Amino acid sequence: MDAIATHKLNSEEIFALLKQFITEVIGEEFVEDMDISKESSFTRDLEMDSIEIVSFSEKVKSHFGEHVDFTGWLSGMDLDQLINLKLGDIIKYIEQCQ
Amino acid sequence: MARFAFIVPPLHGHVNPTLSLGAELLTRGHEVGWITLDPSLGNRLPAGGQLLLAEYDQDSEAYLDQITKKNVSGIESIKFLYEEVLIPLNRFMYEGINTLLDRFKPDVVINDHQLFTGAIAAYNRHMPYATSVTAPAAIKMVEDLPGVHDWEVKQIVGLQQELGVPGNDAIVLSEKLTLVYTSKDFFGYMDTPDHYKFIGPVFNNRHTPPPFNWEKLSQMGTDPRILVSIGTTFDHAYKKEFFSKVIDAFANEAVTVIVVSDEDLFEHWPSNFIVQSRVPQLDLLPHLDGVVCHGGHNTVCETLSHGLPLVVIPIAYDQSHVAGQVTQAESGVRLNFKRFKAPHLREAVWEILRNPVYKQAAQRIQDSFERSGGAATAADLLEDLAPVIPPYGMTMSQAFYRNKVY
Repeated sequence: MDAIATHKLNSEEIFALLKQFITEVIGEEFVEDMDISKESSFTRDLEMDSIEIVSFSEKVKSHFGEHVDFTGWLSGMDLDQLINLKLGDIIKYIEQCQ
Repeated sequence: MARFAFIVPPLHGHVNPTLSLGAELLTRGHEVGWITLDPSLGNRLPAGGQLLLAEYDQDSEAYLDQITKKNVSGIESIKFLYEEVLIPLNRFMYEGINTLLDRFKPDVVINDHQLFTGAIAAYNRHMPYATSVTAPAAIKMVEDLPGVHDWEVKQIVGLQQELGVPGNDAIVLSEKLTLVYTSKDFFGYMDTPDHYKFIGPVFNNRHTPPPFNWEKLSQMGTDPRILVSIGTTFDHAYKKEFFSKVIDAFANEAVTVIVVSDEDLFEHWPSNFIVQSRVPQLDLLPHLDGVVCHGGHNTVCETLSHGLPLVVIPIAYDQSHVAGQVTQAESGVRLNFKRFKAPHLREAVWEILRNPVYKQAAQRIQDSFERSGGAATAADLLEDLAPVIPPYGMTMSQAFYRNKVY
């Protein structure tokens, strides 16, 4: 799981990967009841709290390694941006980095 | 002998540790006052402590409990906390703090880390000040979510500039002495400056505890006993939803459940429940096997200081970070407040009760707390900040400048 991605992923593949990370963070049984889309926001729709967002970001970081400065990108966000952060924003960012 | 002034917000968790620190200073013969908006604090002060009530023309009632007025959760709660609670409260209290500092003339000011204007007023007067960090997980924000930390600093610096402190650095955590009420072991690894002193949690065990139905507890038999509490800052709707899950989880289970809640929240509570709106928590803990709570720093630390495991269900503010510390230390299990259902709570409680690793970890944290020094160490550090009586004809102002801190 921690292998560094070597080929470029398309947006659907990134979406699937991020969904897997979310499942790992919040637990499979909860994800079953959720409608996770690219429009889902982390705080409102997925109801993730600070520490869950931090562990999600660690998973992204360990997967993509130095190819994607995800933590740096996230650190640059202020509170409002973080509150409104959607899954699609992350997909776009990862696509740009590849 | 020196004179110390604590400046506290109207929040129990932030006031309680200062009561023990103040009591220690009073027994050493110092003069100690508490600057507050809350007149009821007068009843809780240690003997000899002075209530320095900040009074205003404008009604200050609104500022006393506004944190309970709105249901907030997650990261959004940080925005609410700063924009709707802390900044207005600080702005409101500033004038009163100034007046009281000029009247009481303390040698050392101790501001709560969220009462920014306490530090600002001391700074503007060139008075030595220390900072009391009653919610240490807040410091972790800089590491966990640096963007959020920067946003917080921006709010604080904005207020500082408005009140005459130039520059873009926050001065609200004293660079001379920042008292952090936890141990490094529980706080978790993070580089912190030398003036951050981890003195361990400090509890207020000198007040008269509320009554408790001990007889009923003793009649409950030998089933494991847990305490369930989500603190004082969440309102009715949250409590109703939360405790209905607690009832579903533990009705008919072989466990005795002590619930901190208004009894009339529900018409019927299961027979294995004891429900009281206030409990003598510190007296109860030695008789318990585990605690379920919202991840408030005080309840978590009181539980760990008795070597008991936890189920933490953080709701808002720094609680998610406190819960992170609990699981990092392996002293408990965390659940998500919005998502958990009764069976998850039941499973989590049996897990911490049956699997000994949680209790063992809690006992390790308990040891680390006991090694941290507590109120006596804090009082030593605070005494070091007080200007010394000038020896050998040195003038008082020379002595002051030698110890000057701002």
